[in-house]
Amino acid sequence: MGNSASSGRGHHEETVDFGYLTPQGIYTGPRDWNQSVVTQLIVQRKLAPFYRPLEDYEEDWDDDQILAARKELPEHEGGEGSSRAESVTSSSARGHAKKPSAAKEPSRHPEAAIYRGALECPICFLYYPPNINRSRCCDQAICTECFVQIKRADPTTTHLVSEPAACPYCVQENFGIVYTPPPWRTGLGSEGATPPSWPDSPKAASDAATNTSMKRRRKSFGHNDPDVVTVDMIHPDWEAKLAAVRAAVARRANRRIIMRQVGDRLIPVGVTSGRVHPIAPEEAGAETNEGGERGSRRSRRRQQNQELNQFLGSMGLGGQDLEELMVMEAMRLSLIEHEAQQRRQKEEEEKKQREEAAATAANGAAAPVPSAEESTALSTALAALSVSEAASQSASPALSAQPSEDTVSPPRSRTSTSSQARASSPSLLSPARASTDGGRRSGRSTPTSPFGTVGVALLGAASTANAVATPSPEHEPSDPIAETALPEHQSELTPAPIAGEPRVPAPPVIADDTPAIAEPSATQPTVDRPSLAASEHVTSSASSLTASSYDVLPSSPESSISDKPLLDDAPPTPVTEGAPSTAAAS
Amino acid sequence: MAVSTRRLQKELADIKRDGTPVGITLLSAEDFATWYLSVEVLGNTVYEGEKFALKFRFDGQYPISAPAVQFVVDDTYQAPVHPHVYSNGHICASILGSEWSPVLSVVSVCVTIQSMLASCKKKERPPDNDRYVSHAPENPKKTRWDFHDDKYVPSSPRRSTVSVLTISRRSV
Repeated sequence: MGNSASSGRGHHEETVDFGYLTPQGIYTGPRDWNQSVVTQLIVQRKLAPFYRPLEDYEEDWDDDQILAARKELPEHEGGEGSSRAESVTSSSARGHAKKPSAAKEPSRHPEAAIYRGALECPICFLYYPPNINRSRCCDQAICTECFVQIKRADPTTTHLVSEPAACPYCVQENFGIVYTPPPWRTGLGSEGATPPSWPDSPKAASDAATNTSMKRRRKSFGHNDPDVVTVDMIHPDWEAKLAAVRAAVARRANRRIIMRQVGDRLIPVGVTSGRVHPIAPEEAGAETNEGGERGSRRSRRRQQNQELNQFLGSMGLGGQDLEELMVMEAMRLSLIEHEAQQRRQKEEEEKKQREEAAATAANGAAAPVPSAEESTALSTALAALSVSEAASQSASPALSAQPSEDTVSPPRSRTSTSSQARASSPSLLSPARASTDGGRRSGRSTPTSPFGTVGVALLGAASTANAVATPSPEHEPSDPIAETALPEHQSELTPAPIAGEPRVPAPPVIADDTPAIAEPSATQPTVDRPSLAASEHVTSSASSLTASSYDVLPSSPESSISDKPLLDDAPPTPVTEGAPSTAAAS
Repeated sequence: MAVSTRRLQKELADIKRDGTPVGITLLSAEDFATWYLSVEVLGNTVYEGEKFALKFRFDGQYPISAPAVQFVVDDTYQAPVHPHVYSNGHICASILGSEWSPVLSVVSVCVTIQSMLASCKKKERPPDNDRYVSHAPENPKKTRWDFHDDKYVPSSPRRSTVSVLTISRRSV
C-alpha cells in the first residue's frame, strides 16, 4: 500500500512521504533554483516535498473527493522545465482521460490521508498536506512550489547590490522556511523508519494529521539556524549574478569612445570595448560557422556564457550591442553634420593654400622639410571619451589613463606639392585639412565637440599632445602612405587606419602615460606611417576582440560614412587599409 | 493552467462571494489578463467626489511577478493629480515594483492605492512628470523605478554620463 504513491504515474517516480522531488507544474516559468540542492533538502526532510496540490478542500471530504480534487498531473517530472507547452497540452488531454471516479480503489488511500487537514498556500491558493513549510520568521504556510519561486531581486545597474529576498508575509529579510516532517516516513530516506500506519476512519486520520500540524512552534528562527532553508540556499547563483552585473557595469564604464581631434573638432572614430578576457578557441571556431552573422564579435559574444548573458540581457545589460549601436548612430550623425562644415572649410582652405604655394614657389624656398613643430601642432589627436554608464564612478580612471595611447594617430606629411593630389584622395585629406587649419590657429585650444549634448572636458595633457603630434621614428617606413610635403611645409595629418581590423591582441588597457610615439625629431622630413600598432591600441582595449565594424567608425569621415542609420541594418563596412593606400597612390 | 489563471480565478471568486472593500468596485474581469477596478477615496480628502479606474495587467507568473497597474486615462477617467501618479496614469509605488509580494492581491493593491490617495494633502504632479511622460514605456512595469526614501523618481531608461576628453593642442 505504501508504494501506491506512484500508481497514478506512468513511470517510476521517486517520492518522499508521498510527495515528489520535482514541481507539479503550478509555475511555468524558468526553473532557476538549484534542483539538486532542493532534492537533497527534500530527502533530508528539511523542505517539504512537492506535493500534488488539491484545487479545493473541505474538511468533510472523503478520500475519493480528495483524490478527485488533486491538481492534474503535469507532464513527466524530471523533464527539467523543457516542456512547458507540452505539459499544458498533455495535462489537459489527461484531464479527459481521467476517470471522474478514481474512486474504485480500496477505501483508505494513504495518498488521500496525507491531505487530511490540508492547508491553503496563501500564494498559489492551492491546498497542501498540513506538513507544509512555514516561514521561519512569522510561521506562515508556504508550499515548496511557491517557495522555490522566491529569490533575490536581481541587481540592476543602478542598484549594484543584491538584497536577500524578504519574507512575502512579514517582509523580514533573509526569507527562509522551517519544515516539520510527518512522524512517519515513506519513499526515499525511509529505510528503517516507521512505516505510515493509518487510522481506519477518515475522522481519526484527520485528527492525527491535525495533531501533527498542531505541534506548532511559536518561536521564530534565525536565518542561519541549521533547521532553516533560505532562499539563497536553493539559489546559490545569486552571487554569480551580482558579479556578472557588476562586471557588465564596470565594462561599460570602461568603454571609451575614441575621438580624433581634427582641427578644433573632435571626430569620433570608434568605441573601445571594455571587455577584457581572452577568446576561447572553441568560440573562435564557432564564429566561422556563423558566416551569415554580421559581426564576428557579436556572434562570438552571443555564445559566451549564454545563461548569464541571457540574464544580463533581460536587464538591459546584455551584450552591449544595442548600446554600442546607439552610440555609433550618434557618432554617425555628428560626423555627417561635421562633414558639411568641413567641406566648406576645405574649399576656403584650398584656395588659400594654392595662393601660398604659388608664393612659396616664387620665393624659390620650397624646402621639402616640414618642421616637426608644425606637425606637432597639427597633429591629429585622439581623445578617449569615457562613457560611463549608470555608475559615474569610473570616469576618472578612464579619462586620465587613456589618452596617451589612444591618441596615437600618427601625423603624416605629404611631400608632393599638388593640391590635385589632395583632391584625389579626399578621404584622407579632408580631416587633415581641417587639422591644418586648426593648427594655424593653434593658440586656440578649445575644440568644439561635434556632440552637442556631450560634456566636453578639456584635459591639458601636454605629454599626450606630444605623443600625438610627434613623428615617430619607430614607425615602419613601409607605410603605404606616400610621404609628401605640402608646399607650405605643413604636415598634414591623416587619420590612423583605425577602421582596420587589427587581429592582433593588444594589451587590454593602455594606461601608460608616456608618449606612444618617439620624441620629436625635428628634422625628420617625412613622417609616419599610420601606425598599425597604434590603431590596435586604439581599437582594442579588450584584447580578445577583433574590432568589428561596430567598434570602429570610418576613420575618415568622407571615405565611407554610411548614410544609412546604423540601427537600421548592417553596420557600415569598415574602412580598410585600402583607404590609406589610396592616398599612397596619389 | 497557468498559476496566474488559477490565482485570479480564486481572487475573482472571493470578490464575487465577499464583495470588495468600500470605495472599490470591480468594473470588468473578462479574462485573466486584464482587469479594471474603480477606486474612490472616501471621506474628506482632496479627491472628494472623484472616481478613478485602475487597470491591472497580469502575466503568467502572477502572483510571483507583480501585476502592471496604472490609472486609466481616457474619456471617462483621468489619473488623479498626485505626487506619485504621472499624468499618463503610471504610478510610482514600491509595492508595484521592488516591494511587491506574492501575498498581495488585486484587492489589496486597490486598498493600498486608495490609502495612498487618501493621505495626499496637496494635489500635484510629480516634478518630473513631463519628462517621464514624454518617453515612458507603455507598460509601467518596464520603467525602472527608483524608490528613494519618499522620493519616487523613475530612473531614466539609460542613464549614461558621457564626457569627452580631449587634448589641448600645443605648438612646440
